[in-house]
Amino acid sequence: MLGLKTQKSPSPSVVIPHYISGAVFFIVLCFLILLSSDAFIGHYFHPKLLAITHLAALGWGTMIILGALYQLLPVLLETPLYSENLAKITFLAFTAGVICLAWSFWNFYVGIPIQIASILLLTSFIMFFINIIFTARKSPNWKIDTDFIVTSSLWLLLTGLLGTLMAFNFSYPFLNKSHLLFLKIHAHMGIAGWFIMLIMGVGSKLIPMFLLSHNLNTKKLNCAYYLVNIGLTGLSLDLYIREEKALLPLYALLITTGIILFLSFLREAYKKRVRKQLDIGLKHSFTAFMFLFIPIIIGIIISFNPSFNDVFLLQVYLVYGTSVFLGFISSLILGQTFKTLPFIVWVNKYSKYAGRKKTLLPKDLYSQKLVNLQYAVYLTALPVLIAGILLSITMIIQTGAVLLLAAAVLYNINILKIVLHTFKTEN
Amino acid sequence: MENYIGEDKITIQIYDTLKTVLDPEIGINIVDLGLVYKIDYSEDKGIQIDVTLSTKGCPMADIIMNDIQAALQEKFPDKKLDIQLVWEPAWSSDLVTPAGKIALGMTY
Repeated sequence: MLGLKTQKSPSPSVVIPHYISGAVFFIVLCFLILLSSDAFIGHYFHPKLLAITHLAALGWGTMIILGALYQLLPVLLETPLYSENLAKITFLAFTAGVICLAWSFWNFYVGIPIQIASILLLTSFIMFFINIIFTARKSPNWKIDTDFIVTSSLWLLLTGLLGTLMAFNFSYPFLNKSHLLFLKIHAHMGIAGWFIMLIMGVGSKLIPMFLLSHNLNTKKLNCAYYLVNIGLTGLSLDLYIREEKALLPLYALLITTGIILFLSFLREAYKKRVRKQLDIGLKHSFTAFMFLFIPIIIGIIISFNPSFNDVFLLQVYLVYGTSVFLGFISSLILGQTFKTLPFIVWVNKYSKYAGRKKTLLPKDLYSQKLVNLQYAVYLTALPVLIAGILLSITMIIQTGAVLLLAAAVLYNINILKIVLHTFKTEN
Repeated sequence: MENYIGEDKITIQIYDTLKTVLDPEIGINIVDLGLVYKIDYSEDKGIQIDVTLSTKGCPMADIIMNDIQAALQEKFPDKKLDIQLVWEPAWSSDLVTPAGKIALGMTY
């Protein structure tokens, strides 16, 4: 039995707005990619790319993850969320912060607008961190997945703090080192510290539950936790203190080994699964984990400081970011949405009738055909987009962006279908 | 079922009722998933059920227990119910019925 809803679960009014906002941000994000395809040829420190990256990382990725996490925390930590009101205020500050930040970057208003945006976001991260810490403290069963969740929320806070310092540094230059150096640290804290750590923690619990897998080797997860944290801390400190690149391969190796151990855990869960037939949500999720190999390979290559020409190296950096945000994270969300959101809505509308009436199932709340189509379109879009970026051909990037936009439209249709669902009996 | 009378007949009806309780995520009933460990019925003790869940400590327990209770109360409004959630023996795929294995896509 899969535990997504209990008496400890938060109200749908805490969770569902995150899914709706995330879906809207995704469609806006894809539209902006289409509008600014030429920005994908050149340096990553480009106003439009910064807007797109932050919309992808915050408006899309983090937004959905926050919503899902509020729903899953009581399941994972076996205790209710510390404060639903705090979660609602966090949502408002976070949404306002994302809109303001994307608008500031897009127009490159690096004065007061970006400072307001960064303060709003940092405030939301602090509130989120408080909610996580106080929820985790009540957990009767603190395990490695709790470590992952708590640590990832700390990394999110640090990422936001550094981002805020950088936002103020535009107007009041006080940082003693290059902005690009801080940008690298900020990006890796966000990617490895927040996203990867959190996905490892939540995924290590949810994927085996969805697959009905048992007797898994959790030592891999313990090792993964320490390797990623040591690697990321070393990378951040070394970049900041010594500005040295000599040890980068070592940090890349530590982080990569941690991720590989996590993937090995998932492989074991997959092999030992009782539920042989994967639904589309799980297919999307496993596709996401396959996409993770792209940034892993690029990360290792870059850490060895290869002698690529500068123009090509910039395109490789862009492929790295694209494969993380539009590959790994997007594919995971596009799939896991259909494992969580229909369940949340179903429980709200149907659980009181279960056992008394023949009701629809969560999977009946959305169109399977549309998700299948979304999966096919997305799987076409991403390679096209990455090829376009790598080859620096605007037309191919635009084609990929159009396909990605189509996938986003299909996703949004299904989200609307789920959240607007009204009670029906099976007949 | 016409060949059965009294307590045996009710036990079979209980079994059939439990087959209407689905795991909403998987869409398979709890009997075919092998989650029902014991079904007992007697006039004096009423209906006694032992069920488990596929994951220990799963907080979905309250919902599935409510579903079982609701289904049995609907079918047997005048009977005493005693539904226990048990963890021993731990659930494994060996407990899945042939029909459940087909539904899960397991080859056996």
